[in-house]
This record gives sequence, C-alpha cells and structure tokens, in this order.
Amino acid sequence: MKNIRNFSVIAHIDHGKSTLSDRLIQLCGVVTAREFHDQLLDNMDIERERGITIKSQTVRLPYKAKDGQMYVLNLVDTPGHVDFSYEVSRALSACEGALLLVDAAQGVEAQTLANLYLAMENDLEIIPVINKIDLPAAEPEKTANEITQDLGLSAETIQKCSAKTGLGVEDILEAIVTHLPPPQGDPEGQLQALIFDAKYDPYRGTVISVRIVNGTLRPGDTIVFMHNGSEYKVEEVGWFQITRNQKDILSAGEVGYVIAGIKTLSDAKPGDTITRKDDPCTTALPGFKEVQQVVFSSIYPISADDYEELAAALEKLQLNDASLTFQKDSSAALGFGFRCGFLGLLHLEVIQERIEREFDISIILTVPSVRYRITLQSGVVQMIDNPSYFPDPSTIEQVEEPFIKANILIPERYMGGLMNLCVEKRGENITYNYPTTGRIELHCELPLAEVIYDFYDKLKSLTQGYGSFDYQLLDYRISDLVKLDILVNSERVDALSQLTHRVRARERGLAACERLQEEIPRQMFKIAIQASIGGSVVARTNISALRKDVTAKCYGGDISRKRKLLEKQKAGKKRMKTVGNVDIPQSAFLSVLKSEH
Amino acid sequence: MKDCAVRRAALNRMNDLGLYLHVPFCLRKCGYCSFYSEAGRRDSSRWLAAVIRQLRQFFSPRPLTSIFFGGGTPTMLPPEVLRDLLAECRQHFFCAEEAEISLEANPATVDLSALQTLRQAGFNRLSLGVQSLHDTELRRLGRPHTAAEAAQTAKLAQQAGFANLNIDLMCGLPDQTLQSWSETLTQALALRPQHLSIYELTVEEGTPFAQQQKEGKLLLPDEDAALRMLETARQMTEEAGFHRYEISNYALPGCECRHNINYWRNSDYIGIGPGAVSCLNGMRKSAVADAVEFCSRIENGQEVWEHEECLEPEAAFRETVIMGLRMTEGLALDELRRRFSIDAAAYYGETLARLTKQGLLELADGRLRLTAQGLLLANPVMAELV
Repeated sequence: MKNIRNFSVIAHIDHGKSTLSDRLIQLCGVVTAREFHDQLLDNMDIERERGITIKSQTVRLPYKAKDGQMYVLNLVDTPGHVDFSYEVSRALSACEGALLLVDAAQGVEAQTLANLYLAMENDLEIIPVINKIDLPAAEPEKTANEITQDLGLSAETIQKCSAKTGLGVEDILEAIVTHLPPPQGDPEGQLQALIFDAKYDPYRGTVISVRIVNGTLRPGDTIVFMHNGSEYKVEEVGWFQITRNQKDILSAGEVGYVIAGIKTLSDAKPGDTITRKDDPCTTALPGFKEVQQVVFSSIYPISADDYEELAAALEKLQLNDASLTFQKDSSAALGFGFRCGFLGLLHLEVIQERIEREFDISIILTVPSVRYRITLQSGVVQMIDNPSYFPDPSTIEQVEEPFIKANILIPERYMGGLMNLCVEKRGENITYNYPTTGRIELHCELPLAEVIYDFYDKLKSLTQGYGSFDYQLLDYRISDLVKLDILVNSERVDALSQLTHRVRARERGLAACERLQEEIPRQMFKIAIQASIGGSVVARTNISALRKDVTAKCYGGDISRKRKLLEKQKAGKKRMKTVGNVDIPQSAFLSVLKSEH
Repeated sequence: MKDCAVRRAALNRMNDLGLYLHVPFCLRKCGYCSFYSEAGRRDSSRWLAAVIRQLRQFFSPRPLTSIFFGGGTPTMLPPEVLRDLLAECRQHFFCAEEAEISLEANPATVDLSALQTLRQAGFNRLSLGVQSLHDTELRRLGRPHTAAEAAQTAKLAQQAGFANLNIDLMCGLPDQTLQSWSETLTQALALRPQHLSIYELTVEEGTPFAQQQKEGKLLLPDEDAALRMLETARQMTEEAGFHRYEISNYALPGCECRHNINYWRNSDYIGIGPGAVSCLNGMRKSAVADAVEFCSRIENGQEVWEHEECLEPEAAFRETVIMGLRMTEGLALDELRRRFSIDAAAYYGETLARLTKQGLLELADGRLRLTAQGLLLANPVMAELV
C-alpha cells in the first residue's frame, strides 16, 4: 500500500488539466504513441469542444521512481462544472492528494480557489503545479508568489511545467511519489468501498468506480449497497488503464472497478459505500447525498415520428447518467414528449446536445423551470415544475420557491457590479470576505429560478469570465409566482408558457416576444406575438407580412439549382411547428429558452 | 420508367427544341454576376474548336426552333467567328425556317459594321445588356460601358436591321431611387425595343456583391422601395404596349422570347460550351464550368458532363409546374395531364385550395396561374408545390 498514490488534478477551466493528464498517461507508458490522441480523458465530442470534462475517467499509471521502486499512481479525473460539484467532491474523497494546476500567464483564478477549498475539505495534500511556463506571457515567479502568499501553500512543493511540450512533467511524477501520502486503511478490516463514479456497459451492466478504503473485494463476493441495502454478486474487479484490466482482487488503498450484474445505475450512487454481506462494516463512509434534479424542461421531437426514438435515446442516456430523470409529457403545439429533470443548466445542455448528436434527433426544449411548492386553499400541497399543471391562481393559498446559497468568487474590481446583480436577482443576506489579496468571496441567498435563468451568464460577462460560483440548495421561501403565456396570432403556444416571479413577468414576456420576432420568418400575413398573464397582455411585438419573395432569373442553366432551393425551403417548412396558421421554426423555441443572445 | 421516357420523348417531338451556346468570355466581371465567364481578352480559338466538336456530338432529328448565343459576352468574339459558329449550328442541326436566333451583346462591344455582319449571318434577335441608363449606377454595378454607349448601341442595332431588340434592365440597385429608375425606364422605352427583361437585383452567393453585403457595404433599397420600382416597371411598360408574360419579362405582342419560353415549359434544349446545361427527354446534364478543363476533356475525347439528373415522373411534374407558373399565362392542366398522366388539382388537393383561398393562385379556364399577389410571392408558393 505504501507504493500507491491516489490523486486528482484540479484547475480553473482552460488551465491545462486535460493536457497534463494526457502527458502523465503518456509518460507512464499506458498508451503507445500510436494510440495516443490528445486529451484522452475527454472522450465525448462535447467535452472536447467545451474544454470541460463531464463524465470522469480514472486511470492507473505504473511509475518507476528515482528510488528504483515501482509505484502505482491512480489518476482520478473529475468533472469541471458547478452542476457536478457533488461528483467532484466524491471523486476527491477517493484521493489523498491533488495537483493544483495554475496557468503561469493567468495566475490564481476563482475556480482555482473553489477547487482548492473542495480539496481541503477532503483533507487532501496539495502539490501546486504552474503550467504553460513556455508561453511568452508566462509569469511563473508572480504565480508562485500568489500560490505561497495568497493560498498559503508551501513554496517547496511547487512544480513548474509545460504540459504541452512535456517540460517538467517527469518531476511532477516524482513529486507525487515523494510529497503525497500513501493511502491508509486496513486490508484485513471489514470492506468499505467508496463509489465515486459509475458507467453503463451494454454487455456487462453497470461498471462502478470505487476506492477501497478498508478490506478487500474479490469476484464471487456478495456485496451490499449501504444506502438501500440492495445486494449483488461480484462478477469482476480490476483497474482502469484506458481499457479495463481484470484482476483477482482489489484491496484497501486501491482504486478500480467492480462489475456485479447491475442492470441500472440507480443502485450505484456516487458517495455510497459498498460492503460485504458476509462481514459487513458497521458504518457507511461519510458524505453521501442523494442527487437532486433541480431544473426541469420538456423535450419534444421536432418530428412526431421520432417520439419512439427519443424515448429510446433518453433510456440509453439514463443508463450512463442516473441523475437524468424523465416521464411522458404532451403539448398541444408540440405533441408528445418527455418532462425531464436535470442537475443544472449545463447538465440540460449536455443532454440536449447528446440527443441531437449521438442519436441524431432534432428536438425542442421548453423553458427550464424549478420545482415549486404550491399550497392550495384546500390545504393540499403540490410540487409543480411544469407550467401546464399550474393550478388556477384563485385556488392557491401560497407558492414557495427553492432558494440556494451561492458562493461566488470574483476579483475585487467586480464587486460593485456583482452586488447589483445579486440585488437584481432578488438576492438576500449578502455577506463577503477576502480569502486572498484582490479577491472577494461573496455569499448570497438566491432564488434558484433566477440562477437557472441567466445568473451564470451574467456573472460570467460581468466578471469577464473570472467569476465562478458554486451553490447548495437551501430551503423553500414564499414567492409571488405567475404563469406567463405566449400567444401567436391569439393562439396560446403552450410549450412556451413559463412560471416566473411577478416582478420578472413583463421583462421576460418582452424578451420572449422579441426573440420570437427575430426567429419566426415573415409569413404572408401579419403576425402578432403577445405575452400575457391570466388573459392580460404584458408585452407585444409584431412581424410584418412578407410582401415580396420571388426569384428574378430562372433559365435553363438555373432550373435544377433553383428547384433544389425551393425543395430545401419546403423541407424547412415541414420541420416547423404550426400553431394556428403560423409556422414556428425550432430556432424560435430554442431562442426563448436562451437567456442571452 | 423506360416506357415513360419513350412516351415523353414522343410527346416532346411536337414541342420546341432550343440550342444554347455559352460564350464564357467577358471584358470584366460585374459585381453581381454569378454566371460562369472569364474576364479579359483571351485566345478563343481553342474554345472555338472544342465547342464545334461538342456540337457535332449531338444529333437530333427534330428541328431547332430557337438558337441563343449567350454568355458571358458573346460579342467579345469577332463577328466573323460568331457568323461561322452560327453557320456550323445551322449546318449540323435542322433549323426551322422561322427559328428565333438570339445573340446577347454588351453595349460598346459592337459597332455598326459588326452588327450588320451579325444580322446578315442570320441572327434575328439582339439582347442588349443595358441594366441602367445612369452612369453612377452602371459604375456601381461594375459595367464596362456608359449609358450613352448603351443607347447608341441600341440605335445601331436597329439601324443594322435588328427588328427584335431586347433590353435588359435592373432595379433594386445600390443607391438607385424610384426617380432614377423611372428615368431609366423612360429612356429605355424611348429606344423602342420589342422586349424588356427587368430583373430585380439578386445578391448571389460567391459574388463580390455578396461579400460587400456581408461587410455591410451594400445598401439596397428597402422592400417598400423595391416594390414600388417593380410596380412602376409594370405600369410604364403596360402604357407602352408591353405585356408581362413572365415574372421578369415584358414584350410587345408576338415578340415574346421563344427560346426562354421553352425553358419555362420545361421542354428540351441542347446546351453547348463550358457550364451549359442540356435537357433532352427528361435527362438533364451540365458541362464542366471551366473553359480549360472543358477544352481538354473534349480534346481527349472525354465526357464533359459534370452533373446529371433524371427526375422521377412525379418530381419532373412538380418541376414543370413551378417553372410554368413563372409565366403569367400559367399552365394548361389538360396539357400537364397528357404529359405526366397526373391531375394537378387532385395531386395538390388541399394545398391548392389553400393557396387559391389565400389569393396567390388562381384556377380559371383550365389553367393554373399565379395572381398578381402570387407573382410577388412566387417562392413561398412554389416551395409548397415543388
């Protein structure tokens, strides 16, 4: 066990986490140069494009240190977004140490700090790594100062490297061996295995990533999931080395996988503890939470023919992502679809993109909503996340909405703007402190509905990308909620209805009307777009009638091309949804969903 | 499928057959033009040999009812070359006695003697690319001639004996006003042409105008202004005795362009030269749009065709409908039924009823046609019928 090191790489976005991970994997000879393609760990297109890791992958690296001994370095990858902070914290709790990666040109950033806190909460040993020292704009000395002065980390352990060129990466491997502690734990004790990730394999069922804290785990063992007591027989254990590497045993201190004929992900929840049935441990490992869906939206296929395919796609996605929930839903404008629950907005966007890219289904999403608690005068309490089920306002006693506690980290100069933003977003109990020179950590209680609308976008643009935030659900508080309807030529478009606080209704109604005005193509008649609450119009825009659309020239050489253009136009019209006599393109539905242009 | 092609071929025997010859040379490229042509004076002898060889590859027992030398700028070639080319065409194909033989020309590329040579060679219709009779507008378009030169060339053509003269004009131009447009129309009508083609400027992809538009440097009249220009054109030509027989074409009675009507009827035509399209018995082919490549393929005995298309009968029917609707006389439903064995009213059903109700289409005297409103909204209507 003394030759094992379990570690993560944590960093602000774009500071080079994936590049460094790849370099470490390459240096340890886990993949040959031919197999190597950049950013191995981010294996979804969406991840590569956005530079974020959504689904973590773990890899075991064999390393021969300068002391002549062989070490096992388990690199535990972590997702990089606020929606997944619980998953990040579970992955970190599987480690003893972390590389805190800082860009030599950018210096310490907000997310560097947030991730450092998360690592410290999990009692991890930190090795600061200054990356991109080959850049002309690199200021490694200044960055080192920030790390020692502001973050209070030891200067001795700082590593400097260029993950891109490979400079200094060897030294990092050595530092991992010398500075990070080996895992503790008793291989003879009762089994306690921490689940920190799970994936679905169509042939083998759920593949669970575990850190063995105490005891051992072998094929043939009967295991128990402590949160719900479900039992399975272990079929296979092993290590991840890009592919699965089957072994006879996993024992205390090790990181690996377990396959036990588990058909769904719902039993394998991150943070849960696995123990053995024949010799169970007395207590579960600390920190387990059930993940909660906090954002809800309905997904409809553009073409009604794709409904079955959409259902199949959601089922497949859920196999690998237990945090996605869905149930049938229907709309007069859009037909049959699914009401889905997500961990946050990014999670929603990722699912949307995967349905469109991996399953090639064109879809429309409705405006995301949080889940409201509505008490009727009859005393009945309802949880509502879908505007369609919003009760008649005259029967409502009170409505409550979820609040979150936001922890926001920003450079000091943006403080004024951030205070205004928090107040504008109905923030309460704002407090702040100075964790490092020039940076402010602000705490604020905010309605979740405001956060999922455009808070994050606004924070990002306000702080030029330097602000980061993190949140936890707090409680439910009384709210003045209304249902905002959108009408197109007096026909209500049910899929565009949204629940909103009364003070926001006009502004959101106008924003929706303006976006629809931009996105709905002109048609052969005038179109009125209105936003209304309970029948009274709060905002309105018009689209003037199309008066001229004709191709001036069409002779022998043009016929095929012009016909194809018309055919394209015809196909485009077919993909639109018709409400009353108005054709509405998918982009119009999507534009209402988007908070910023 | 084969039966159908044979039957269609039989029917087509009664229809017109046009010959189009593409001359891909221009003095310089205009900013709006997306046709294939090459700018500057260059040696055309290789091209000449190639088109003659391509011409000889076609065989048709049916007489040509029209010949059209277009471009590019055909009059970039010496009149004697055009004369010999036309002679070659008439020698190789049967040519109907009354065939319409058109030549496209740009102002200031021909003088009186050239025009006389061409008229004597057998060209009986001249199509003059005037576009505007305002020098500022012509410069903005990148035209290599002035308004005065355009008017002069029109007069010389008439003097040389061209009794069927077309003038091409454009509206919706950058910086054009309703005032300048009616002046252009007045002056064009004063030249007493038999035919006018009036095109609203279309910004085509890949042209310098498209680039300027992207950069915000192409300010075009707004929709209202453009509509008024089109309406002015309709009124002024009508007062001068012209009738609008196609979306962009106006003629004195009996002077409609037979060659182009053949396209709108979706009938057969032979296209010669790089980039030219042929359509025979439902098979449409286009030649490679590159003069050098075209020549070397011909010289090496290779196929010049780059795209081939043979539509299924129903698709060919729909294409014929949308092309036919470009003409104000519309389509005769019984003719369509004979040609495709499809009843248009039954085929389009609900769609037709709706478009009629919306006042865009009308069905009268067994003919289907666009209304005045429909002519302005031809694209969305055709997109429902295509």
